[in-house]
Amino acid sequence: MAATRRLQKELNDIRQSGLKSFRDIQVDESNILTWQGLIVPDNPPYNKGAFRIEINFPAEYPFKPPKISFKTKIYHPNIDEKGQVCLPIISAENWKPATKTDQVIQALVALVNDPEPEHPLRAELAEEFLKDRKKFTKNAEEFTKKHSEKRPTD
Amino acid sequence: MNSKSETDEASRGNEASSSKNPTPNNTGEESTSGLCSGTVTNRTQDIMKRAAARQLIERYFYQLLDGCGNPNCDNQYCASSGEARNLSPNEAAAEAIKLFYKEARLCDTLPNKVPRTEASSCDSSASTTCNTSTATEKDDNKDNDGNSPSTTQAKESTSKEEEPQTSHNVSQQEESKTRSHNNGAPLTEERMYELCSECLQSKVRQPLIRALGEAFTQPAILARCFASKVRDNADEEGESSTNKETKAMCLSNDPDKDVDSVTGPELDVASCRRAFQYLAKVPSEYYSSALVTALKTLADYMGIDLRITKKMSIEDAVNCFVIAFEVPDLGCSDYLEIALPALCQAAEHLSLKGQARLARIWAQHCKDSLRHILETLQQLITLRVISTNYTRQFQVQDDEVVTMATKFMKIVYYANMLAGSLEPNSLREENIVLARAHDPLENVLGHLYPPSSIKASKHAQPDDPLAIELDINVLDARKPYLPFEEFYNEPLSDTIEMDIDFGNYKTEISKGKKFAFLRYPFILTVASKSLGLYYENRIRMYSERRVSLLHAVVGAAPPMPFLRLKVRRNNIIDDALVGLEMVAMERALDLKKQLVVEFEGEQGVDEGGVSKEFFQLIVEEIFNPDYGMFTQQPDSLTVWFNMTSFETEAQFTLIGIVLGLAIYNNVILAVNFPMVVYRKLMGKKGSFEDLADWNYTLYNGLKDMLDYTGNDLEEVYYQTFRICYQDVFGNAIFHDLKEDGDNIFVTQENKREFVELYADFLLNESVESQFKAFRRGFLMVTDESPLAALFRPEEVEMLVCGSKNFDFNELEKSTEYDGGYTSESQTIKDFWSIVHSSSLEDKRKLLQFTTGSDRVPVGGLSHLKLVIARNGPDCDRLPTAHTCFNVLLLPEYATRGKLHDRLMKAITYSKGFGML
Repeated sequence: MAATRRLQKELNDIRQSGLKSFRDIQVDESNILTWQGLIVPDNPPYNKGAFRIEINFPAEYPFKPPKISFKTKIYHPNIDEKGQVCLPIISAENWKPATKTDQVIQALVALVNDPEPEHPLRAELAEEFLKDRKKFTKNAEEFTKKHSEKRPTD
Repeated sequence: MNSKSETDEASRGNEASSSKNPTPNNTGEESTSGLCSGTVTNRTQDIMKRAAARQLIERYFYQLLDGCGNPNCDNQYCASSGEARNLSPNEAAAEAIKLFYKEARLCDTLPNKVPRTEASSCDSSASTTCNTSTATEKDDNKDNDGNSPSTTQAKESTSKEEEPQTSHNVSQQEESKTRSHNNGAPLTEERMYELCSECLQSKVRQPLIRALGEAFTQPAILARCFASKVRDNADEEGESSTNKETKAMCLSNDPDKDVDSVTGPELDVASCRRAFQYLAKVPSEYYSSALVTALKTLADYMGIDLRITKKMSIEDAVNCFVIAFEVPDLGCSDYLEIALPALCQAAEHLSLKGQARLARIWAQHCKDSLRHILETLQQLITLRVISTNYTRQFQVQDDEVVTMATKFMKIVYYANMLAGSLEPNSLREENIVLARAHDPLENVLGHLYPPSSIKASKHAQPDDPLAIELDINVLDARKPYLPFEEFYNEPLSDTIEMDIDFGNYKTEISKGKKFAFLRYPFILTVASKSLGLYYENRIRMYSERRVSLLHAVVGAAPPMPFLRLKVRRNNIIDDALVGLEMVAMERALDLKKQLVVEFEGEQGVDEGGVSKEFFQLIVEEIFNPDYGMFTQQPDSLTVWFNMTSFETEAQFTLIGIVLGLAIYNNVILAVNFPMVVYRKLMGKKGSFEDLADWNYTLYNGLKDMLDYTGNDLEEVYYQTFRICYQDVFGNAIFHDLKEDGDNIFVTQENKREFVELYADFLLNESVESQFKAFRRGFLMVTDESPLAALFRPEEVEMLVCGSKNFDFNELEKSTEYDGGYTSESQTIKDFWSIVHSSSLEDKRKLLQFTTGSDRVPVGGLSHLKLVIARNGPDCDRLPTAHTCFNVLLLPEYATRGKLHDRLMKAITYSKGFGML
C-alpha cells in the first residue's frame, strides 16, 4: 500500500497501542487517507453504546489537520446532526503538525465523555444540558440506545 | 601651538605662491581645483572662486567675533589675541570683507574650538610618531583578528589604507599641507552633546550654530562627521589617506573600488542619530535657520562638485547625504522648501555607483529612517503639486522640484526593497519566446510605411540602470521594508496629464530628454498607471488598424481592422475558444486589435459593453470547477490550475489570451486567482512564501515545522521527502520530492530544502505544462505592452479584478446627470436612497446591470463615471443601460415605490442585449 511514512506509522502505532476507547480501526487499502473506527465512551449517558467515526486526512497531512465526522448519530451538544464535530486541536488555526492522531482521538473521546456546553454546535442541547441535566441524560440515553452501535464485548 | 600656526602659515605661503589661482584658496578642496582649472569652464571657475571667497570671508568674520581660541594668539585681526576691538556682527562682516581683500593673516585654529589635539600633535611632530601609531594600530588588529565580524571589517578598512601609508614619509609635507586647509574638524556625537548642553545652559546659541554651520556647509567636513568608533585612533591618518585614495580614484577612474566597501561605511549612523537627538532637545529656533542655510550651501557645493569638479569621493558624497537625511526636522517648513529640494538636486548628479551605495547604506544602517525620508519627500511633492498651478506650458513634468524629488525617491524605493526581505533571483520563470507570426506583407509595407515608433520600441524598455547596478528586481522583493503603497503619491497622480506623460515616456526612449513619471511607476497610483496603459493599448490598436488600411490600399486581402468574434450565447466557450484558437494560430498579431464581440441573433453593437458581458460569461464558465480546467481551493476560495486536467494545453493558452485581452481591452474580470499566479505571469516562480496566500493552513503547518527547534524533528514529524496529493476525484497520488524520497527523512538540517521543494512542486512543477500554456497565451497579447515595467504583480491583479471595495457613497459623489436630471431631482434622491438601503447582492446586480460587470474598477467606484440620464417622463418602461458608457437611463417615475419596483425588476432579469 502506498502511503507516506507518517500516516503508516501512526496507523501501526494506534493499532498496536490497543486503546480501549477507540477500536475496530478500518482503513481502505486503496485509500489510506480515510480511517474508520469505533469510539467507546466510558461516561454516561454514552456508555451504553459505541459510535463510528471517520477520520479524513488531507493529502497534505500532517501539514494540514485531519477532519473528523461521526457516522453514528449522537445526542451531544458539541456534535451536530450531520456528525460534524468542533475539536479545537484540529481546527485550522490551532493545528500543529507534530500532533499525533492518537492525541486527537483522546481529545475527541474526552469531549464525548464530558460535553463542553460553552462552545456548542447545537445550542438547544447545550441549554438543556445546563438547565435540565436530568432530562438531557434521559434523552441522550434513549437516543444512544436507539441509534448507537453495539459495544465490543472483550 | 605657536610653532604649529607658523608651519601652517608657511605652508599657506607655499601654496599661495604655487597656485596660479589669484584668489587665496584656503581649503584643500579649492586648492586642487586650481590644478584642474584647465579642464573646467570659465563659469565653473567663477563659481568656485566665489565659493572660496565666501568661505574665506566667513572665516575672517568668525575670527573677528570669536577668535581662534588660542590664548597666546598674536594675530591683530583675531579676537583671541585681545588686540582686535569688540565688534558687532554687522561691523565684523564689513571688516571681514576688508580683511579678505587685504589678505590679512588668518589664524589656523578653528573658531568653533573643536579640540584638534590629535591633529595638531600629528602635524607638529615628526613623521615617526605617525608611523608608530599606525604600527600599534596594526597590532591591535592582529590581536582582535577573527574575534568578531566588526573587527575584521575594521581590519579590511585599515589594510586598504596600508598602501598609501607606506608612502607616508615621502608625502608628509604635502599631507600636512592638505590638512592645514581642512579648516574644520568633523563633528562627533560627543562634541554635539557638549555643544547642545552648553547651549541649553548658557542660552548662547552662537557656538552651536557655528559648529553646525561649519560642519554642514562643507561636504568634505560633513562626510567625516560621526565617523565610526572602530577606527577612532586612525581617524586623522585615515582621513588623509582617503583623500589621497580619492584623488587616485579620480585619476585612474577605478570602477569597482567603491562597490565592495559598502560593508564598512566610515559613518556611524547610530552615533549620528544620537547626536541629532541631542540637538532636538535644543529649541529649534536656536539653530534651525542656520542649519537650513548650511544644508542649502552644502547641497550647492555638492551639486557643483558632483557635476563638475568631481573631486569628492563617492563615499564622502554618500556620507553627506546620509547625514543630511538624518536631520530630524527635515520635514518642517524651511527644510522642506529650501534645503530638501537643494539636496535632491545635488543627488541627481550622484553617479550610479553613488546612488547604489546610498541605497545600500540606507538599507543596511538606516532602515528606521526610511519612513521619515520617504514621508518628507512625499510631503515636498504633495506640497509643491497642490500649491502650483500647472498649465499646458508648464507641466508638472517640467517642475524640477517635483521631478528631482521623484528621482531621489527612486533611491529610497530601492533601499526599501533592499531593507526588506528579498528572494534570490534564481526563482525567475523561464522566458517564453514567442515565435513571431510575421505579417507576410510587413516587408513590402516597410518601404511604404516606416515602422511606427511603437513597433520600433518593441524591446526598447530597458531596465532601470540603478536596478541593474543593485541587481534587484521588484519581483524579488517578497516583503519590502515599507509597503509599496506608501510610495504612491495621490495628489501627484491626479495632477499628471497622463497623455502628456505617456508621450514623454515614449519619446524618452529615443531621446532621453523629457521627464516621464511613468519611468518612476512606484509613485503613481494604479489608477493613473492604468490610464497610461490604456493609451498605450489604444495607440497600438489604432496603429494595427492603420496597417490594415494600408493592406487594403495595396490591394492585398484586407485583414480585419478589429479582432472580431462571433459567438452563440448558449455555446459561448466553445465558440470563443475555437474562434480565438483560429486567430492565435493563423494571425496572432490580430490579438492586439480591439476586440469586437457579437452575440448571434442580438442587435447589440459592441462599443465595449458587449465584450464586457462576453468576458463575464466566459469567465463564469471556465472557472467553474465542473469545467475541469481549474479547481477551487477550499480554504482561500481561490482557483488553481487543475494539475490532473485532461484539457489540452491549447485550452490553457486560450484562457491566457482571454486574461490578456481583458487587460488589453480594459475589462475587469471576476476571477479569483491567488497572488502567485500574477507573480508567475510577471516572471517569478512560486516559492514557499506564496503558499501563505495559496493555502494558508498548509503554509502554517510547514512554518510550524520550520520554527521547530528540537533535535527530535525526525521523530516528531516523521516526515519523508515523499508527499501526497489528490486528484479531482480524491485519489491519493504520491510523489517523491527527491529520488528515493520515501527513505529520506526531514531533519533539522534539510527541513528548509524540504519546504522549498514542496512549494516548488505544488506551485510550479505540478502545473508546469498548464501554466506555461496559460502564460504563453497571456504574453501573446501583452508581450509588447509596458505592463511588466509599470505594474507589480499586486497591481496587475487590481487591473484584472478591480479593487474589492464597494463604496456606493463614493459612486454617488462621482455620478453625473444628464437629460434633465440633477442631483437634486426627486427621482435621483429616491434612486440613491433605494440603492443605499439595498443589499450587497442587489448593489452587485445594479453594477452588473449598468456597467456589465459586478467588479469595482481600479481606483474604486468613483472611477466608474456613472451617468444617470432622464429617459422621458413617467411611463411603464423599465430602466435601461448602456453598459459600454456606464449610462443608466431612468424614466422619471412618478413615485418612489414604482421606481423601486422597476429598478429591481430590471436588475434581476438582466441578461442579453436588445433594443427597447
